[in-house]
Amino acid sequence: MFLNNREGLALALPAAIFSLLLFLVPVAILLSEAFRSDTGWTLSGYTEFFSKPLNQVVFFRTLKLGVLVAGTAAVIGYAAAFCIVNLGPTARGRIFGLVVLPLMISPVARTYAWIVILGRTGIVNDTIVGLGLSDTPIRLLFTETAVFIGLLQLFLPLMIISLVSAMENIPRDVIPAARVLGANWIQVFIRVILPLTKEGLVIGGTLVFTGALTAYITPAILGGSKVLMLETLLYQRVNVSNDFVSASVIAMILIVMSFSANLLLKRIATARS
Amino acid sequence: MKKLMLMLVSAAALTAHSAMAKDTLTISVYSFAQDAYKKALYDPFEEICDCELVIETGNSVERMAKIEANAADPVIDMAVISSHDALSLAQKGLIAPLDISKLSNHAKLYPAAQDPIGNNMAVGYTFYASSIVYRDDLVKIKSWGDLLGKDLAGQVSLPNITGTQGPLTLMMLDKALNGGSGDFSSVIAKIGEDADDIVTFYSRSSELAQLMNQEEVIAAPLGRFAWSRFKNSPLSFAWAEPEEGQAGGMNVMIMTKGNGNEELAYKLMDYWLSTEVQTRIAEALIDSPANKDVVVSDEVADNLTYGADLINSLNILSPAEIIANRDAWVEQWNAEVIK
Repeated sequence: MFLNNREGLALALPAAIFSLLLFLVPVAILLSEAFRSDTGWTLSGYTEFFSKPLNQVVFFRTLKLGVLVAGTAAVIGYAAAFCIVNLGPTARGRIFGLVVLPLMISPVARTYAWIVILGRTGIVNDTIVGLGLSDTPIRLLFTETAVFIGLLQLFLPLMIISLVSAMENIPRDVIPAARVLGANWIQVFIRVILPLTKEGLVIGGTLVFTGALTAYITPAILGGSKVLMLETLLYQRVNVSNDFVSASVIAMILIVMSFSANLLLKRIATARS
Repeated sequence: MKKLMLMLVSAAALTAHSAMAKDTLTISVYSFAQDAYKKALYDPFEEICDCELVIETGNSVERMAKIEANAADPVIDMAVISSHDALSLAQKGLIAPLDISKLSNHAKLYPAAQDPIGNNMAVGYTFYASSIVYRDDLVKIKSWGDLLGKDLAGQVSLPNITGTQGPLTLMMLDKALNGGSGDFSSVIAKIGEDADDIVTFYSRSSELAQLMNQEEVIAAPLGRFAWSRFKNSPLSFAWAEPEEGQAGGMNVMIMTKGNGNEELAYKLMDYWLSTEVQTRIAEALIDSPANKDVVVSDEVADNLTYGADLINSLNILSPAEIIANRDAWVEQWNAEVIK
């Protein structure tokens, strides 16, 4: 396309400079805080962070909810995506539009809706009490369950979109062929659909897991201070304690967790093939 | 035509120059009620001083961090913060003692507001009571200890330890549960035992107002300055008068060290403390007055922390005690309450 490499590089230069000066350098400076002390470079920020029981609880809770949200999104996402790709063009467009619609609504609005739904006087508790399943409303808000539901609703569309894209590339005759050859639906999924959609699963899984790790609004509103996650803990460290070292440690942990999840998913996909 | 253009350009340049030449005072304030403050304080002061006020807002931690980060060349000239945050800044050498002779309204302040943290490092401009807001159609509150009682289990919220209301609540619970031992560790342990019965630990009064208006919570400690969020609700909210009394606190004005804009800062402080401005701010139900000459109607007084009797009855937690113990309280809170 270009007469020489210089032309291509020249076009990429503004974006590269922008990213370098306004993103990579500030992030590097911020993250380096976590490795610095008055006497030089150190890992004491990390050892101190993980030595505190509260931080351990928050770390494992974040990991657990990230895995649960990504796993559940994958299960629901595969069913939804399979259904969508087998619809006619008109119905597919409409259903796909409904899947994408929540992404156009602010996460704050979506999360506040859950406060109304999950509250003591919300529809869930009204139904539970109305059906006689409990005499009094059940505490749903400010629990891990509320955060899980909020995060799942927030990121499920990303998984469905990724899997729909992947499934659309499956040759139309391979699933009927597998069925004709005697495979049941579980075997079809494990031996045909999963290997052929692994790229979509890796992308969707990374997006959902990373999103669940780094989401702030949903854990802050639905979990409050009783269900702290790494992101809400990071906010507290900066805005309540003015502790930028701990905040940098948390930021670095989140980055490592996100990259690790991506690498792990890719590794699993590669191993399967 | 050219002459006319030249005259217009010159006039514009002169106007711009005179606008730029105005003195500027940068103040750091709490972010609430800024529209009301603009009307009651900022605009009238700008007219009087022929200067420009630059208003910086944010939470206490952000604002204190900014003062500390710019200590060598202060960008903030004057700030209003809590008395214990003022003491913390004073201990770090970031604020200057006030020259009381430049505050003509100083003598009009309640004695507790005249030198709240010692050495004239600050001057109080507002008091606030802290008690329990509750649904009087559902529950009766007689004591701070009721917050941890069976009747409120699962329907009560407490302030987070890191906010202003947190330590005040610990102090009053200590009075109710231990007779005022002064050692809050057993109170924090008790809250930890009952943590499952507490809906959440709120950080902002707006958050609590939402929870109470949605009937998630029916009782919680609250600063009187946030009472306006509740008094017009269709739900039946009441302000408790517990047998242990109400807690109280004070916000203060401080001067950053070496800001070079001291004269203008003193002018604003003095104006803010004047009977005229303190009355205007009180009548707008923004802040309760620290000026004892302020007279307001009974209706306005009902919504404020107003009058010598009430102010003298408040249980005040010393700023020095808060600073000395805050880290230990937060550590224990994180280990036993938040878990």
